[in-house]
Amino acid sequence: MNPTRPSTAALRIVIVAPDSLLADGTDTRAVTEAERSRSLRIGLLENGYNIVAVLPADVFLPDRLAQIAPDMIIVDAESQARDTLEHVVLATRDARRPIVLFTEDEDTSHVGAAIAAGVTAYVVAGMAPDRVKPVLEVALARFEHEEGLRRELADARTELSERKVIDRAKGLLIKAHGLTEDAAYARLRKTAMDKGLRLADVAQRLIDVSDLLA
Amino acid sequence: MSRRTLIKAAAASSATGMLPGLQSAVYAAGSDKPEKEEVKIGFIPLTDCASVVMASVLGFDKKYGVKIIPTKEASWAGVRDKLVNGELDMAHVLYGLVYGVHLGIGGPKKDMAVLMNLNNNGQAITLSKTLADKGAVDGGSLAKLMAREKREYTFAGTFPTGTHAMWMHYWLAAFGINPVTGAKLITVPPPQMVANMRVGNMDGFCVGEPWNHRAIMDGIGITAITTQDLWKDHPEKVLGTTSDFVKNNPNTARAVMMAVLEASQWIDASLQNKLKMAETVAQKAYINTSVDAINQRILGRYQNGLGKTWDDANHMKFFNGGAVNYPYLSDGMWFLTQHKRWGLLKDHPDYLGVAKQINRIDLYKDVAGAMKISVPKDPLRTSKLIDGVVWDGKDPKKYADGFAIKA
Repeated sequence: MNPTRPSTAALRIVIVAPDSLLADGTDTRAVTEAERSRSLRIGLLENGYNIVAVLPADVFLPDRLAQIAPDMIIVDAESQARDTLEHVVLATRDARRPIVLFTEDEDTSHVGAAIAAGVTAYVVAGMAPDRVKPVLEVALARFEHEEGLRRELADARTELSERKVIDRAKGLLIKAHGLTEDAAYARLRKTAMDKGLRLADVAQRLIDVSDLLA
Repeated sequence: MSRRTLIKAAAASSATGMLPGLQSAVYAAGSDKPEKEEVKIGFIPLTDCASVVMASVLGFDKKYGVKIIPTKEASWAGVRDKLVNGELDMAHVLYGLVYGVHLGIGGPKKDMAVLMNLNNNGQAITLSKTLADKGAVDGGSLAKLMAREKREYTFAGTFPTGTHAMWMHYWLAAFGINPVTGAKLITVPPPQMVANMRVGNMDGFCVGEPWNHRAIMDGIGITAITTQDLWKDHPEKVLGTTSDFVKNNPNTARAVMMAVLEASQWIDASLQNKLKMAETVAQKAYINTSVDAINQRILGRYQNGLGKTWDDANHMKFFNGGAVNYPYLSDGMWFLTQHKRWGLLKDHPDYLGVAKQINRIDLYKDVAGAMKISVPKDPLRTSKLIDGVVWDGKDPKKYADGFAIKA
């Protein structure tokens, strides 16, 4: 479908990293999180990845992501940033983008389940940078594959609902004018052609008018 | 009489009428032994995680044959993912989040279960000191200020489909402010609310305690309204899990519910218990804050940060004679009506059908029956919210569409 997909090295990646200014220095968890994020960034940069921005998970994150419109977002799976990102995901749910979570969890047995649950990929921290690359490649491919399926499903649903609308409109014509099914369809099609409209739109208008007059 | 002895008594005579719920639901399966004995329960550092934590700390879990492992989580999205993929067995979780996942709003879709309500009340809406200095100290004066000084006003909740976002939306709308077009609503993790307000990033937030009281202690915010004044005895956090977990581990689910119910009972039993609870949950492993930040408001001693103090009879309750914990269908449906109202749901869901799937009243009745906790007859309840609108769960579609201000 899209054979010219750029390699992941050309991806515009945004990393959402914990804000060290907000982190409490005595909070070992926050310190570990910041350190983990730093080593991941170094690994990606050494491998030639295009990190266009490292954003703190602050209240401006949604605005900045909207401005930058990255191809991929990478965030720590255990970070508080997740909820802010969730806001972005919800606000842009009609324009999905791949989100990669990285985690310190060495047990990758749940990765499959996590991916099935909607996260594009889990990257285990400490993974050698040359191993990160295939993971990101797979994440992107998988995301595109799923988006393709999603689009197909949406198209199929639209088609099905359009067919239902056309059937209902045909029914109205058959009832009102005693036409045969073929004649009713021909009349709908002719109107569509004459007015330069889609068949389903003509059918919907007929139903709307009929509801109005009912 | 402990539950163990009750079980023995029940087992000795299958004709006993002592445990009608357990008898029908559990003995039909042959045994009440928990299928899974170690139960990982995720929680977010907030005062209302207390019943889950205390069930473990006080050993109520062992009494019912399970071991609760409270697991501190950094984000609600993390709690959500881990519930969905099974890393967590259960969680102290936002009511609206559970419903959002069940319907697949903005993320993974998975059949979910609400086992019981964990608490009523005890959240609040904080406005910044800067706003208060300009006269915005409650809903009415905020609306006036926003009309007078036009700019972008920013308010925060804790999760897009969650409880606090819904309280924030509801409150603003009750005072004529459209939260979708007339303000900016953002998501900020609870422990970061105070820091963000300090640096002027937001005008107000809705969050659970101790963060509202903490804003007052730090001199950067004032309490504009408590959520109990928004909706007296509103549902708040729930004990949530997946439908699959309940299906595979019904006895474990019941055992955990009993342990958490007993902890809820224990917390509400006395002032001393509440203070002990505050000392426990304030520790680093749980909320990681000062005991003072927690113990005032759980005892019902409120101040608004502007010199007003009061004793609030409707402070955070964990049990309240059992009135807190019953998972009313109308409570669950309310979140759906607000999801629809604010455009998170594009179409009306089957409100009652969804609530019946998620809220496990059947299990709750088993457990409450065994513990002699009274259960209301009607799974719908009537509440009057701050704008005077009555919610009784009977016509959710009309209710959701009936608000003048909506998305």
